[in-house]
Amino acid sequence: MRGKGTGAALRFAIILMLAVATSALVSAYTQRPDPDLSATRLSVHEQAEQEQIMRGRQLVLEHACSGCHGGSLTPDGPAWLMGLTESLPGNEFLIGPCVMEQGAQPCFRTRPRNLTPDNLTGLGRFSERQIFNALRYGLRPGETPDVEITSTPGQGNFPASPKYLAPPMPWVAWRYMPDDDLWAIAAYLKRGVKPVRNVVEDSEGPPDFWVESYTDFLAANPRPVPPFPAAAERTPASGSVDMDQVLRGRQVAVQHDCGACHGGFSNPDAPGYLAGVGISPNAIEFPAGPLTEPPLSGPCSVQAAGVACWMMRPRNLTPHATGIGGYTDRQLFNALRYGLRPSTTPDIEIKSTGPGQGNFPAEPDHLGIGMPWPAWRYMSDDDLWALIAYLRHGLKPVDNEVAASEAPPDLWAGVYTVENIGPYPAPAFPTANEVGGRK
Amino acid sequence: MTVPVAVLLLVVAAPAANAMPLRADQGPGEPIAAEPLTSPAVLENESRGPGTVEVTLVASATRMSLVPGVETDVYAYNGTVPGPTLEVREGDRVIIHFRNDLPEETTVHWHGLHIPWSADGSPFHPVAAGESFNFEYTIPEGSAGTYWYHPHPHHRTAPQVAKGLYGAIIVRAADDPLRQIPEKLLILSDNRFLADGSIDVPDRHTPVGNIDFENGREGDVLFVNGQIMPTIGLRAGEVQRWRVVNASAARMYRLAIPGQELLHVGSDGGLFENPVPTDEILIAASERVELLVRGTGQPGTTTVLRDLPYDRYIPQTRPAGWSEPNDLLTVRYADAAPVEPVAIPSTLRRVEWLDTTLVTTTRVMVLTQGFINNRAMDMARVDETTTLGTTEIWQVENLVGMDHPFHLHGFSFQVLDRNGEPEPYASWQDTVNVPAHSMVRFVVRFTDYPGKWMFHCHILDHESAGMMGILEVR
Repeated sequence: MRGKGTGAALRFAIILMLAVATSALVSAYTQRPDPDLSATRLSVHEQAEQEQIMRGRQLVLEHACSGCHGGSLTPDGPAWLMGLTESLPGNEFLIGPCVMEQGAQPCFRTRPRNLTPDNLTGLGRFSERQIFNALRYGLRPGETPDVEITSTPGQGNFPASPKYLAPPMPWVAWRYMPDDDLWAIAAYLKRGVKPVRNVVEDSEGPPDFWVESYTDFLAANPRPVPPFPAAAERTPASGSVDMDQVLRGRQVAVQHDCGACHGGFSNPDAPGYLAGVGISPNAIEFPAGPLTEPPLSGPCSVQAAGVACWMMRPRNLTPHATGIGGYTDRQLFNALRYGLRPSTTPDIEIKSTGPGQGNFPAEPDHLGIGMPWPAWRYMSDDDLWALIAYLRHGLKPVDNEVAASEAPPDLWAGVYTVENIGPYPAPAFPTANEVGGRK
Repeated sequence: MTVPVAVLLLVVAAPAANAMPLRADQGPGEPIAAEPLTSPAVLENESRGPGTVEVTLVASATRMSLVPGVETDVYAYNGTVPGPTLEVREGDRVIIHFRNDLPEETTVHWHGLHIPWSADGSPFHPVAAGESFNFEYTIPEGSAGTYWYHPHPHHRTAPQVAKGLYGAIIVRAADDPLRQIPEKLLILSDNRFLADGSIDVPDRHTPVGNIDFENGREGDVLFVNGQIMPTIGLRAGEVQRWRVVNASAARMYRLAIPGQELLHVGSDGGLFENPVPTDEILIAASERVELLVRGTGQPGTTTVLRDLPYDRYIPQTRPAGWSEPNDLLTVRYADAAPVEPVAIPSTLRRVEWLDTTLVTTTRVMVLTQGFINNRAMDMARVDETTTLGTTEIWQVENLVGMDHPFHLHGFSFQVLDRNGEPEPYASWQDTVNVPAHSMVRFVVRFTDYPGKWMFHCHILDHESAGMMGILEVR
């Protein structure tokens, strides 16, 4: 009974995380001058360390870590990565059937931890390997020794009783990142962020530390992903398509957990992988808005009368006419970089960074809440084009018409302001919340 | 007044009676009669020599009643649970002829005593089943206080203590300032039983075993000197000195006598300089306290020694009912004329601070869930090294959301500050509780006795799973 409940909880938790990531409302952005790095001559080692930290920063930004772990979506805002704080009480999550049905049990409260390198309350005393193990294997640093894990659960030196991070933490997708990327995130958190003392109360959870929930999930979503092409994929016609780019796009899709909402999690063998609501059991519609009731899934009818509520429906991302087939690559790029709906945004190259500037649509029509484009926009151009190439050429087209998501009259423009989601590009490193990374 | 007393006893005893198997002649809900608190026997000194205490201690498997009317397979020292008390004086030469009649390896660790490494009874000196070992050591001057002994074999401490192996040590000073005050020994422990009366020690990798590992195993039956809810009599005006040993594997006790102020007069390593009035005292696993209890109640009334709720747990495995108080024993104010209160000295003894200007090293000990400095115990590894004569500060940081009591073998220390708050007075401890997400610093001086000394979390399930390290003193 509990396993079923927590399995569902896992699904909703990830959706919830993404929703929160995109709707984090934060305070004003202050531009800070670039540090003049050229003024100091860096050794080869220092330069490599700096590059690793900057890569980690990029990954932290594009994976929306701060969407749950505090502060703004960019490093210049308050409470950057310091975990649950009194000023961000909304980042405490409910996990369990109570997410769907008010009062249902079990119901656990989980709380995003302090990711700054403070010794007592953050990651300061944990090694970068322990952070790596958390991201790759979901193993809690405070409950897992500082060892290189060389096996899979139930074997070798993998903890016999693993202590997994609570489901809102999307390590099940993050674990697909290449080793170098995980080490870069660890380097940034340990050496690129200023320590902030902030005690976060421990999360609640089942006494088995989610083992039961994750056992089935990990079996259904193996790492590495199945060889290309998996069941939902196709080999592009040779000649016209850069296969390296398609495969890079596949990696981007997997490690950014597109399938958590669009179907099939990170398994391209799964039925309905990225095909939108209606096929994969984990691609479901969910409500968004200034909701008042604890259940953050299910129909808007559970909300109090008069409270705005719109149903979000993850779209079909396969290259069928009911999916992305009718849009140009550039429209898809504009969706990922600027959150502009392909169906209502012209096929133009956007040369400015936000509303009211240059040729950015004066009245932008944004993707619905839930799509974490405010984080995805920090991906490199190459990664965005690769993701698009994969969707276009690497996926089999699936005929699945998904009803349009609902939206408020201003089409979310009031939510997606620079004040709320931070600037693009990200403020220069280091901000006041960061340290130079040079020892 | 008889009727209210009976009702009170019924109320406090009933939960314990429900939680344990009933004996054959006992009806449901029938309370266990309150008995006067008894003290464990004192180990008989077989030596006639002055300043020498020579005793025999045998650990064996036996069957006895821990819960009245229920037979249980136990391990016992000299056939009793708790084991007999070792009473010595400062300066005594102590010889303990120990025989291991258990079906498994064991050791005897003299918790808190400053004695040679070879006699410490750590995992480095196991005594095989059927073997004997003579522990020999001298009790240092200035160490008068309350200590205890228990097994410490590698990975097996928790189950052996759970099965009944623990006993008290009292070290007396020739010039004890409280010698005129009658004293009581209170060894607190808890245990859990299966329906057949056997002690419930589940395998680590079962659901209950996993919870036991996280919290440290707690029992629902609370014992004082092996008795359930015994009674201590106290005359109005009388003062008693209670030496309290927390021999529980994990349970922390927040001791209070409702409506009565306690005088906290000592810790692990003996008396403070001055008595400290307090309403409650928190005593972590393996800690000891000495307190003075004054007969302030009305003759003929009763009160209780209560364990108030204390949240030492992580939310994942916090037990249901943790927020309920537990009653440990009944305090009965004798229906007799008050006695003239004795004078309690305002100064008990000098307790000097160690000289922190001599500190040469600050060691950081990071506590997480089952690990120290993110490593599990390895008997083949020395984690820390120091040299004789060194004074050090140990900075113990607890990174996780539950408390960990930190114990250092062989060397008592003085807590300097907790989360930066200076300790108000000097005291000697060998165990200090480090609450969740907090830091304790203590100063310690490695005067003598080279060897490989253990430091560990004294939640025994954590210790036995490897939340321990080795300090080599050279």
